Amino acid sequence: MAQALLEGTKLRLVFEAGIDDEGKPILKAKTFSNVTKAATADQLSQAAQAIAGLCNDQLNKIERNDSSEIIG
Amino acid sequence: MAKTLELEFSTEFGKTARISVDSPKEPIDEEVVKLSMAQIITSDVFTTASGRFVAAKGARVIERNVTDYELT
Repeated sequence: MAQALLEGTKLRLVFEAGIDDEGKPILKAKTFSNVTKAATADQLSQAAQAIAGLCNDQLNKIERNDSSEIIG
Repeated sequence: MAKTLELEFSTEFGKTARISVDSPKEPIDEEVVKLSMAQIITSDVFTTASGRFVAAKGARVIERNVTDYELT
């Protein structure tokens, strides 16, 4: 049986930075590394909202990116 | 003119860690920055080689000017 070992977690925030010529939203993503693997969705949401509160652009999406090493 | 807001945190083992936010809300409201940093610390999401964030150390806005030259 192969095993997946959680190696690292990143927090990715997608912001809406205005609207382009065709009326579609311009999305800008910012990734924060150095995230604890134990972080819960609530904690990530709290941190993301705090960061977004300082930013001019509107927060569109919060993503959690986990990478795992597969052993086996 | 690209502006970035840099948040400086003290970590458990006395080092400094930074988080940067693109296109910050202006004018910068010190109270909001303080509150957001406190929220980021309580969320306990970020960790570095020198430990978790324990205190807000400072914040600054960095302005970058880029001038393009056409060399053709």
